[in-house]
Amino acid sequence: MNSNTMKWLLRREFWENKGSMFWAPLIVGALLVLLVGGTIAYGIAAHGVPMRITVNGQTMTHGGLSAALSVDTRATVAKLATGMYLMTASPLFFMLIFAVFFYCLNALYDERRDRSILFWKSLPVSDGMTVLSKVATAVLVAPLITMALATVASLALLFIACAAFSLQGVNMFGSVLASPDLYLSPLRMLALLPVYVVWALPTVGWLLLVSSWARTKPFMWAVGVPVISLLILKWIDAALDKISGSPLAIMPYAQEIAARILGGIVPGIWFSFKEGIPPGLRPTEHGIDGGSLVTGSYATLAGMDAWIGALMGALMVYGAIRLRRWRDEG
Amino acid sequence: MSSVISAKGLSKRYGKRTAVDGISFEIPAGRIVGLIGPNGSGKTTTLKAALGLVPFEGELSVLGFDPRTQRDDLMQDVCFIADVAILPRWLRVSDAIDFVAGVHPRFNREKAERYIASTRLTPSMKVKEMSKGMIVQLHLALVMAIDARLLVLDEPTLGLDIIYRKQFYQNLLEDYFDEHKTIVITTHQVEEVEHILTDLMFIRDGRIVLAASMEEVGERYIEVMVAQDKISAANALQPLDQRTVFGKQVMLFDAGPGGTSRQQLAALGETRNPSVADLFVATMKGSYA
Repeated sequence: MNSNTMKWLLRREFWENKGSMFWAPLIVGALLVLLVGGTIAYGIAAHGVPMRITVNGQTMTHGGLSAALSVDTRATVAKLATGMYLMTASPLFFMLIFAVFFYCLNALYDERRDRSILFWKSLPVSDGMTVLSKVATAVLVAPLITMALATVASLALLFIACAAFSLQGVNMFGSVLASPDLYLSPLRMLALLPVYVVWALPTVGWLLLVSSWARTKPFMWAVGVPVISLLILKWIDAALDKISGSPLAIMPYAQEIAARILGGIVPGIWFSFKEGIPPGLRPTEHGIDGGSLVTGSYATLAGMDAWIGALMGALMVYGAIRLRRWRDEG
Repeated sequence: MSSVISAKGLSKRYGKRTAVDGISFEIPAGRIVGLIGPNGSGKTTTLKAALGLVPFEGELSVLGFDPRTQRDDLMQDVCFIADVAILPRWLRVSDAIDFVAGVHPRFNREKAERYIASTRLTPSMKVKEMSKGMIVQLHLALVMAIDARLLVLDEPTLGLDIIYRKQFYQNLLEDYFDEHKTIVITTHQVEEVEHILTDLMFIRDGRIVLAASMEEVGERYIEVMVAQDKISAANALQPLDQRTVFGKQVMLFDAGPGGTSRQQLAALGETRNPSVADLFVATMKGSYA
């Protein structure tokens, strides 16, 4: 039992899930670059820079564009572009949600269904190590792979756009490369990973628990139990409201629990559990303030609820370990 | 600690059904034990209890560990092939070797590769591309390369053709087994393992009905080809079993203490040691009814 075992367990998870964790985002990222980048390049190359463009509220025509773009304006455009370019890879993060969801749901179920669990259990690897390697794969390995691919894809798109502009005589390379946000954005994204882990734990714990418990149809159990209990509570709530005029006090909590055990793996979901998107993130004429994304995200960890959820998640992970230890497959 | 496995009053119930009914046995080190019984007799459950895969009642010590609470320690020294375990479909031969080499301190990579080389498996092959027999070959190659003190094989050769089965048992005896190791085998093909076993354990309805070394079995049980004129005399000695081979009566006797003596039996006709399969059939009479 050592870090070497953990390394091999993580590798094992990657072998098994290479398709959904690596190839799928790689292919989608490549398609994104090809299709979106191709469209940008073709559009600008074939039709030139848009005839009318509005910058800072001033409408300019093509001829005046290059001259009218002052150094300041270019810097603003560059800041907008470098602050937001990672957003172009958002399809990859959308895919990550599904990849992690179904990964957790099947992580402890498939090995029981095909009985390969008996092979894994014949090796000197504890159930705790095995389940923890699956948690780490869900909250660290998969997001890190997606982040790396997203950074590469969105950088490629940014440079394609810059190249296309420069073909039209509008050189954006200088100001883009000089913008600190170009380099800071991926680092900020990386800095969000610990926040992601904390908020994702309840969902990952719940899905792994169901995965190690369900005899059949883990998806139905994982989604059905919270949704149906919520519906029943809603019904009781409505009935009580009619009869006594006082609705169930636990309703808001029940809703939040359901949302957190199913939606915790959505990147950025933490803003919806708290005050909402911090004002610094709304695009202004100065671009967006990427730094406030990080500080705003960490601010969501200040309350108890994030940590209570993480603790619940950890307990459910422990439950999954105990179940894997003693579940008899006949 | 001389016993590798020591059980006292081991029981396992599934709901109302009793799979293992308070059995006690000892398996010393350096033995190859055949655990033999019909389907549902409790042999797989007994092995699963010993491997810490199922909870149980009673006392059970494996290599000095309690499989319930010390499974992680136990698994450093134990390896097993469970009855219908299957390797995951996505696993590649080379990855499987890398993984076991990575997590098992007692894995001999060279040995595994040597076994693999003697089959039609290639390093880049995935389990989903293999025939059933090839999967078993890969599994056996991995397990045989692990230098475990206790090896438990539950139907290890299921799905293999006869040439490879023979070769496997040959390897097991010559290449794997030594006096520090203990092997417990269950199989339906008793005749293929009987020549390598040192001990026999028959289990029926969750109880052990016979536990003896092969020498004891050889001394105790005698099969007699009874001459035509001595059949009634032979019947009087209460044979355990009788059958007809080419028109001749073959009877099985217990020549143990308190039983019939060898001289008595020799007078009845030609005597020989029964095969384990015949002994098994005689012992299990009625449990298939």
